[in-house]
Amino acid sequence: MSEDQASNSRLGSPQEEADVPAVTGNCSPPTHAAETRPARCAHKGVGSTLFFHLRMLGVFYRTSIQADMEYRVDFFARVVASLLGLLTTVGSLSIAYAYTDNLRGWTFAQAMVLLAVYYLMDGLIEMFIGPNMRQISSQVREGTLDFVLLKPVSSQFMASFRMLNIWRAANALVGVGLSVYTISRLSISMGLPQAAMFSLTILVGMAVVYSFWLVLVTLTFWFVRVDNIEQIVWQAFETARYPIEIYPSWLRGVLTYLVPVVFIVTVPASALVGRLSPAMLTAAVAVGLVLVAAASAFWRLGLRSYTGASA
Amino acid sequence: MKYWIAVYRVNLRVAWAMMMQYRFAILIWAVWGFVGPLVSLAVWSAAAHSRGSDVVGASQSFSRGDFAAYFLVYMIFGHITMSWDAFEFAYRVRTGSLSPQLLRPLHPIHADASYNIGFKVITSIIVAPAWVALFVLLKPAIPDSPVGLLMSLPALALAAVTRYVWQYALAAIAFWTTRVDAINQFYFVLDAFLAGRIAPIALMPAWIAAVSRVTPFWYMGAFPVELALGRVPLQSALTGMALQVVWLLIGIAVFRAVWAAGIKQYSAVGA
Repeated sequence: MSEDQASNSRLGSPQEEADVPAVTGNCSPPTHAAETRPARCAHKGVGSTLFFHLRMLGVFYRTSIQADMEYRVDFFARVVASLLGLLTTVGSLSIAYAYTDNLRGWTFAQAMVLLAVYYLMDGLIEMFIGPNMRQISSQVREGTLDFVLLKPVSSQFMASFRMLNIWRAANALVGVGLSVYTISRLSISMGLPQAAMFSLTILVGMAVVYSFWLVLVTLTFWFVRVDNIEQIVWQAFETARYPIEIYPSWLRGVLTYLVPVVFIVTVPASALVGRLSPAMLTAAVAVGLVLVAAASAFWRLGLRSYTGASA
Repeated sequence: MKYWIAVYRVNLRVAWAMMMQYRFAILIWAVWGFVGPLVSLAVWSAAAHSRGSDVVGASQSFSRGDFAAYFLVYMIFGHITMSWDAFEFAYRVRTGSLSPQLLRPLHPIHADASYNIGFKVITSIIVAPAWVALFVLLKPAIPDSPVGLLMSLPALALAAVTRYVWQYALAAIAFWTTRVDAINQFYFVLDAFLAGRIAPIALMPAWIAAVSRVTPFWYMGAFPVELALGRVPLQSALTGMALQVVWLLIGIAVFRAVWAAGIKQYSAVGA
């Protein structure tokens, strides 16, 4: 087992199942839940639909943070774990770089940028995506997804964005700190266009992870247990701490096409050091959009096989 | 002795039956062991490639094939010596599920040790084809004489027992605090460097190598691996094994002391 994962640190802290407070306002959902679910406010225009969902998100995240406040000590444990994991990777890289000035074309400083992006992405994923996806699996297994389906909002929206694990920001913070440090060391000037490109690639990376994980979770509708597959995916993600070029070509293929680690870490890191071509950026955005659309379609297909708790 | 063999046999059978229920999950855990060594191998292969020559450390040199041999043997030996009780134990203390175990006329370490052996027997059988495939794929440098490999077997057994006892002593810290994650993480960092898990000790900075030799990490990690690869001279091999026994005895003493103090501390949920 790998050093960082061994403490099954991927398991989230227990969260109270707080009921979603009613969202009031001129776009409040009707109480009759049996009506058509998606896009409740569509007739009022895209603007108000977006506004409605953003407000829902605000409520979701506020209640999640309130629940997380009970587990404050968790944060320090996470920071310590994060820094110790970083120490191992940086240590092993610096031992290797004592014997060579580059690893397949990557300098030590560039490898550090990559590692920083890895931590940032890991933190963001565990903050926003991980808690929800794990929740869905258990809800499908136990039949409590009923309560999500009964709510008069898009089930995918509700299931995907219900929770936020604020303490998982530890890894993201370590990633940001390391980025700032390495970027100043590399004397890269961060202009506005570059910052925008980087943010965009981070969003694409999140979209890719989200779609990928949603597809995995949707499999629960048929196979009930998929948390083992999740473990395999995280093992693959571990490899993204290092430049992908050091791996043999077959593994690079797997990490590009099967588990799209490239879009999650390599592309944002290239954007950060200003090496991302416009063509690659366009391709990444396209991949992100296609994957989200595909995953949503698959979710709707899976829902048809959901049988509920007592069925 | 006969008593202990019978105890372990019964426990092994229970462990076997339990594990057969969770075949897939257990396989995944076993595969975890592949990632670390293969990633380290990739890093060092890239270093050897970018240098265009062997990586020469203070006392030993490594070609690409040598790295493959080192990390592959480390992968297998690591699997055989690994122990996860530190994580498991904190959970048991927290939930109170340790209590029924304490009531049995057998120390929990024996039940867990036999379960650990059962796990390794099963997973080794399942994972063995993958090991063979990796040996064929990665073309490791094979040592000239099999003497080192033969001598490494008792060293490996000693390493497994020593690691087990030390890890159980570490696990017993859970009697005082159930937040043992940070402690375990710290242990893994030490293990990564001092036991030579991320790189051969000979390539590490001199001070890490020096510290490694005066800790148990060297004896439960890199020592049997280097022995198998014929990198340890005969004289040092024998002293090394003697020191393994010393570290095992120290480990048992530490474990007993920690356990005796900890068990007084233990109060189960609801007590």
